[in-house]
Amino acid sequence: MGFNDLREFIATLERADELVRIKRECDWDMEVGAISRRNFEQSGPALLFEKIKDYPSGYTILNGPVATWSRVAIALGLPPDTPVRKLYAVYEERRDKSIKPEVVTSAPCQENVMSGSDVDVYKLPAPMVHDGDGGRYIGTWDIVVTKDPESGWTNWGMYRFMTHTRNMLTGWPQATSQLAMMMKSKYLPRKQSMPVAIVIGCEPLCHMVATDPYKPGLDEVEFAGGLRQSAVELVRCKTQDLMVPARAEVVIEGEVLADRIAHEGPFGEYPGYRSGTMAEGVLVQITAITHRSNPILTLSTLGIPPDDSSIAASLTAAIAMKRGLKRRGIPVKEVYVPPEGVTHLIVVSVERGGSRVARQVLDYFTARRVMVSKIIVVDQDVDAFDMGQVLHAFATKCHPGKGIAVEHYEGRANALTPCFSADERRRLKGASAVFDATWPEDWEQEVIPTKSAFATTYPDAVKQKVLANWDSDGLGEKS
Amino acid sequence: MSQEYVTFVRRLSQLSEGKQTLFIKDLTPGPRKYDTKLVRAELSKTASDGNTLWVRSETGYLYPQPWKIKILEELPPYVAGQPWQDVFAAMLQAK
Repeated sequence: MGFNDLREFIATLERADELVRIKRECDWDMEVGAISRRNFEQSGPALLFEKIKDYPSGYTILNGPVATWSRVAIALGLPPDTPVRKLYAVYEERRDKSIKPEVVTSAPCQENVMSGSDVDVYKLPAPMVHDGDGGRYIGTWDIVVTKDPESGWTNWGMYRFMTHTRNMLTGWPQATSQLAMMMKSKYLPRKQSMPVAIVIGCEPLCHMVATDPYKPGLDEVEFAGGLRQSAVELVRCKTQDLMVPARAEVVIEGEVLADRIAHEGPFGEYPGYRSGTMAEGVLVQITAITHRSNPILTLSTLGIPPDDSSIAASLTAAIAMKRGLKRRGIPVKEVYVPPEGVTHLIVVSVERGGSRVARQVLDYFTARRVMVSKIIVVDQDVDAFDMGQVLHAFATKCHPGKGIAVEHYEGRANALTPCFSADERRRLKGASAVFDATWPEDWEQEVIPTKSAFATTYPDAVKQKVLANWDSDGLGEKS
Repeated sequence: MSQEYVTFVRRLSQLSEGKQTLFIKDLTPGPRKYDTKLVRAELSKTASDGNTLWVRSETGYLYPQPWKIKILEELPPYVAGQPWQDVFAAMLQAK
């Protein structure tokens, strides 16, 4: 059974020594961000800021709910020391399960309601996360809910949103995101604004599902139920025809305007840079803000890894990629998204390699919108989760002249890739490369270099003797 | 008392002196800091009077020398345009 709400999760983190309460007053204007950022860079605990300057007692900010593997494990109901490979396996196993949500008529997230002329987003302690950001980002670790007006499909995504005025937000879902596709294909042709709800402060698995690239048409809330192993309670918004998690801390209801825009950004984003995406987003007219009493704003002070984004996406993106590669008939064994690579770098191990398979992998990653710029393909004897082994394979097996293939594209690149020029980012122009660190398929066994490792170099009898005497030789545990 | 604002530009060379329409953020301390306004204003690099306008680039780089700003008119805080359209281009079109 999953956590009922964020508050239950916080209590569990605290019992596991995974949460620190900051009791002194902290300034929402950069101080909360600075503490959180430094804490991320030390892989520190989740932080609950209990007293925020300019705001009433009881209004708090939680940074970093799942910014470490141990907190992801707790979120999944597993022991904190669960190995990453096991977390991947559990997530993959639960990812296919869906449990329909339960609809409720009264909800904690609607204990307090601001609507009409009472709407004032500045009554919530939205932080100025980094010096130099375009404004105060209230949506960093959120769930953005939108609905297809024809099919009724409800999409959950995670996109950044910034305070603009007391009753407006600006935001930047990428122009290739599912939210953008829905707006462009279903609302703009009718010149209609799109209802939207920005949900802040749910239990962690709902947020993680929002980062998972489920296919259009699939309701993420059902998969959140599957992942949690219990239904998500939903309640109807007060002013929009949308259903939102009933036990969220804050819900901002509004409309993405079809005919008005305003300045948004820049923002220090998940690749670890503020690379210049600005003034090309969306404008939201807020119609209501509902929140629990003593609301907790969830925050992820994005930047260089690790943080919630690089950890959560490591898991959610990898499983989705593995499924996609398998659907294409690629002999994939494992996919690992190292948090340090911020979903720009992917490791794929395959049951049989060679340039043809490497090319197929590259084709998969560049077929539609492209969020990945570098893929290392390794043979299955390399542990994809062990970056030491991956680096060794890359260094020794990737032919500098023949082992790298590049695909160029325009109109679907990741605008947040720091190495793309400002012009490329604006045109969504980019390139992705696959680094083939597998042996060529046409090399015969007798010419493939023999790996000089304990496991591959010695006869079984010798290895067994070595292992049998390992301890008594004073060399420690057998492994 | 002099007030301070910040605005963002793609390139500093695209910001001109004289009467301009631009988005600014109010830097007055308090819970409404960073509230955004769209204004018509007189901008100057060298004037000695007026309020302070800090300028940042699209990466958030803070240009060391602030400008001066005199707000002539506060406009509704948006411009006509479609989502994902370049706001600066939309403002030029509106001009």
